[in-house]
Amino acid sequence: MRSRERFQSSGPGGGDARSGPPRSGGRRPYSGDDEDRPEGGRGRFAPVRRVCQFCVEKADVIDYKDVAVLHRYITERGKIKGRRKSGTCAKHQRRLAIAIKRARHLALLPFTAEHLRRF
Amino acid sequence: MREYELYLVIDADVADEAAAAIVDRVTSLVVAGYEGTGGEVVKVEARGKRRLTYAIKRRVESQDIVLTFRTPPRALPEIERVLTLDEQVLRYLVVRLDED
Repeated sequence: MRSRERFQSSGPGGGDARSGPPRSGGRRPYSGDDEDRPEGGRGRFAPVRRVCQFCVEKADVIDYKDVAVLHRYITERGKIKGRRKSGTCAKHQRRLAIAIKRARHLALLPFTAEHLRRF
Repeated sequence: MREYELYLVIDADVADEAAAAIVDRVTSLVVAGYEGTGGEVVKVEARGKRRLTYAIKRRVESQDIVLTFRTPPRALPEIERVLTLDEQVLRYLVVRLDED
């Protein structure tokens, strides 16, 4: 409490009144302060910008048989994750999409979540 | 001559000999090739039994075999025709390996 009073007195409204009212007035700018929040409250998507995993591994081809890898790039519902979500580069995203579709055809991966529920 | 990979999804209830027969059938077609130009099977890899992600023809399990071979492209339609007609082959996929 004491420290807060001291803080207010140093603020713009502090010099005028020392007791009650200036305290609440001193709080207002605090709660509305945008600078204290990281990047503002607007960003609903937190884009995790990572480096493309396939580029890191210098992968030329993406194997449709490698279910363990492909699994990381589909959602719970079986949809292919977007580049936003996975951080894959454009070149590898195209190849990845083809690999996932091939794997689906061979029943290595699901087309939809319903496929997973059935068994 | 191009290099291809053939992924076979075969019914798990099919006996090993019958599965081998399918591989032999494909092999003979690869070797026969097209109009005098024959091919060769480079590798045959049995991937064992697995659970299918979704049922195909009411089958829940499969045994997978991957063949790598070189053959003239014109030989492929006949290979694919044979595979589509075979009831034991649930799914197949031919992929070109030497893509550039």
